[in-house]
Amino acid sequence: MTLHALTKPWEPMSYGFLDASAKREIRRKMIKAIAVPGCQMPYASHEVPMARGWGTGGLQVSLTLVNPSMRVKVIDQGADDSVNAASIRRFIARVAGTPTTMDTLDADLIQSRHRIPEEVLREDQVLVLQVPNPEPLRPVQPNMSIARQMHADADYGRMWLQLYEQIVRSGRVMQGASYPSLVHGRHVMTPSPIPRWDVPKLHMAKHLTILSAGREKRIFAVPPFTRVEPLVFSDVPYKVEDHADLTCHRSGTRGFFMNEIPQDDGTSVFEVSDSAWGVKAIRRRDGEEVALGETWYKNGKMPS
Amino acid sequence: MSVHPVPSEFEARTNAAFDAIIWAFARPGLMQKLPEAGMSQIVEALIDRECSVHCQDPDLAEMVRRTGAVMVSPDDADHIFVTDVPLTLLDQVRCGSDLHPDDGATLVVDADLSAGARLRLTGPGIAGDVIVTVGGLPGDFWPRRARAMRYPMGFEVLLVDGQRLLGVPRSTTVEVL
Repeated sequence: MTLHALTKPWEPMSYGFLDASAKREIRRKMIKAIAVPGCQMPYASHEVPMARGWGTGGLQVSLTLVNPSMRVKVIDQGADDSVNAASIRRFIARVAGTPTTMDTLDADLIQSRHRIPEEVLREDQVLVLQVPNPEPLRPVQPNMSIARQMHADADYGRMWLQLYEQIVRSGRVMQGASYPSLVHGRHVMTPSPIPRWDVPKLHMAKHLTILSAGREKRIFAVPPFTRVEPLVFSDVPYKVEDHADLTCHRSGTRGFFMNEIPQDDGTSVFEVSDSAWGVKAIRRRDGEEVALGETWYKNGKMPS
Repeated sequence: MSVHPVPSEFEARTNAAFDAIIWAFARPGLMQKLPEAGMSQIVEALIDRECSVHCQDPDLAEMVRRTGAVMVSPDDADHIFVTDVPLTLLDQVRCGSDLHPDDGATLVVDADLSAGARLRLTGPGIAGDVIVTVGGLPGDFWPRRARAMRYPMGFEVLLVDGQRLLGVPRSTTVEVL
């Protein structure tokens, strides 16, 4: 063995910022996360030049997967142009030389905070979701060692009790985002704080979803064609937000998840949350030739 | 103007190999393609000094040793590379625990992916079911695998035939036809 064989050529920085050993560790954990859908796998969560809690988990997964031919889209709460999305997109493009896009149809890798795009994702696309709190049991069991035991035992009784109490107190399930969902009939996961509107998009989807919490150092995944069922009682059906009849005041598109924008006179107007979809709808209205993909929701309804 | 780093040959190769591996496990039953033939790609993409490895092939074992991984017996290994599957191997492979299913091993096996037993795979990653042909394994490999695992405990099987790659994660149910 020579010294030369033990070293590698000098590089100013690793491609994709993360060094090779960090990537290998995330790769090994991603394999296990995919093999046990919805089960939280601990991982090292290396440092990236961004504060924990701002999408470092998703960023590490993206940086592990990227190569120069992968087109990257980054979403923050539906928008491609918010500060968090723009900085993460620019960072990935800078350290990995990837082309970027805002169009869901053109993207190979989509890193997202709190939304799934309105257009149906294909089987060659990967969705990386940033997760602030990966533990669905935390509201009912703050001790994470006990929560892990509850996952091991598939002991989700308290989860059901919490939902029941909400219905008794308020007449409906109050959980707005990160609705607890049963994956592959075994593990309950939090689908990251996506609205209830987006949870059915994960069920038997064609794309691969990887959820990564950088601060909490947990990674989990939903492979394609995997059952993702929100926890519901059989006599209280799952309800998505009442956005089916809302119209976007800028693009005129209707039947998608909307942001409510309060007005000075006390009323509010609505704007479609998936900004890339809204932009495409406006450009098409103005006579431009724009490809609009098939959407999950049709006329405000998710076909079952 | 910004200058971005260009992937080294090693980075490009391991990235492509992992792309094949991740899709092999995300879509069990769909054949994936490694950038080059052989298990060495998988070692490069996954193995380093944090791993404990069991490896049959002496040449590959030399390569594994260079990564800094510890060479151990099959029941201690988190990655196992075998060309011929011994009959008792599947009873020794680490399955993790219900608390930590990620402690289950990854078993990389040389197989014949063009002839042999017909298998029906069902489970996550598979739309309905898929039929694959896998040869070169002991006759009772798949029933033994099913007996050894109790979901979510279990191990992942990665079948390698030259450049071709087929993943069978523990969530996949295998039926020998």
